[in-house]
Amino acid sequence: MTDSNPYSIAAPAEAAEQGIKIAGFLCNWCSYGGADTAGVCRFKQPTDLRIVRIPCTGRMDPLFVVKSLIYGVDGVLVSGCHPKDCHYAVGNLYARRRLEVLKSFLSFMGIDARRFHYTWVSASEGQRWQQVVTEFSQQIHRLGPNPGVRRQPGENLKPLDGQKQTPKP
Amino acid sequence: MIETDTMQLHKLVEEALPELDTMIGWAAGEDPLHTRPIFIRSAESIPRLIWSPFCAQNLTGYLVKPPALQPADKNKQIGICVKGCDSRSLVALIQEKFVTRDRLRIFGIPCRGTVDWRKVMRQVRLSYVKSARVEDNRLIVDDAGGSHNFDLEDVLTRKCLRCIHPNPVVYDVMVGEPTVSRIKPEDLYRDVDALEKRPLEERLAFWQAELDRCMRCYACRNACPLCVCQERCIAETRDPKWLTQRMGIPEKFLFHFIHAMHLAGRCTECGECERVCPMEIPVTLMKEKLNKIMEEMLGYVAGLDPTAIPPLLTFNPGETGV
Repeated sequence: MTDSNPYSIAAPAEAAEQGIKIAGFLCNWCSYGGADTAGVCRFKQPTDLRIVRIPCTGRMDPLFVVKSLIYGVDGVLVSGCHPKDCHYAVGNLYARRRLEVLKSFLSFMGIDARRFHYTWVSASEGQRWQQVVTEFSQQIHRLGPNPGVRRQPGENLKPLDGQKQTPKP
Repeated sequence: MIETDTMQLHKLVEEALPELDTMIGWAAGEDPLHTRPIFIRSAESIPRLIWSPFCAQNLTGYLVKPPALQPADKNKQIGICVKGCDSRSLVALIQEKFVTRDRLRIFGIPCRGTVDWRKVMRQVRLSYVKSARVEDNRLIVDDAGGSHNFDLEDVLTRKCLRCIHPNPVVYDVMVGEPTVSRIKPEDLYRDVDALEKRPLEERLAFWQAELDRCMRCYACRNACPLCVCQERCIAETRDPKWLTQRMGIPEKFLFHFIHAMHLAGRCTECGECERVCPMEIPVTLMKEKLNKIMEEMLGYVAGLDPTAIPPLLTFNPGETGV
């Protein structure tokens, strides 16, 4: 992540020294509850995850993942109700297809698909949530910070080729 | 052969014209290497209609993209010329109910490949082109500098070199004789495979170099017959705001991701996006990869069955491993 990134998310002071940031998109009915259960049960969890609550994984546009990874979020975790357990009956069945297709497509475009993971965690599975988030966080730490798709830091703020940058008065 | 096809087309259109509101086809362009679309409403324009290997444009977009063709007489049909690839776009539009099948009179034309004039120009800088014709597997062009002879394999559009549906899949009248595919079905995704074999860093570098040229003119989106969000396209809306006006590589990546992901399982690889790209970015390659995923994962090929539902617009509760 670079200073010039307009989308940088301020990390809490106690975040890992690498400054890893993981975006978690959790369905309101199962996984968000599952994460809550994990908290209530005082299971120890990594602090890299920033949670975005979505009404259902059916709301999950694959482009949310794409945009996050392009702009340099280090990992994206999507979690929802188990298939056939969706609060809205079928939302996660749509999501499953979309996210699986995206997972195969990301690496074709040169984006590491290991930075994206989707899974199912129900509201009662606090233990499982702890396991999922710990494993994913460890994986992202192994991969290190996400360089995004820029060639060099702050690239898109540079003038076009052949143009001299005029010094500011 | 091409001349007889054009004459047959004239005859068929002449017979059908009383029942048609408008006939969409191709006419001669500014030089023999180019053609342009023509909208025929009266019989005297019919002789201007042509069919040649230079009729590269997919005309189905005119049925749905603004300003979409509005028939003056709603009870009459709209006639349209389609090649094999264009007919698949039409199937996709029928699937998604953007056009109704019985409102159309489809003139299907088996296609032996269309010529990419940019590939011709890259080999020889032609000027004042007088005539161009395809004979067997050669393209012969006469211009101010004399006669030039090209191997057809070198000047065909990339989509035509990997075409496995040269014959229209949906039509009312067939113009000319059905033809055979240029390639074996297993070679369909050879361009995708070639890129896939390279390591991740090289793929990223490849797309960075290609997409760096993108100037976000959105020609690819505008030409695509299946990009139907129109003025609600999230690449341009301010609410929701997905993209800024900034011209960095991330914005270009995101725009092409939006285009590709919205066509996942719908794209019929008509190649319009690539044909119209002023920067010659292989835009269709992204959709080819998505189509390969669709075929391998969900066993679906877009634009063949008018009654099928695109796979990302539906689900199967029983499927596992997806």
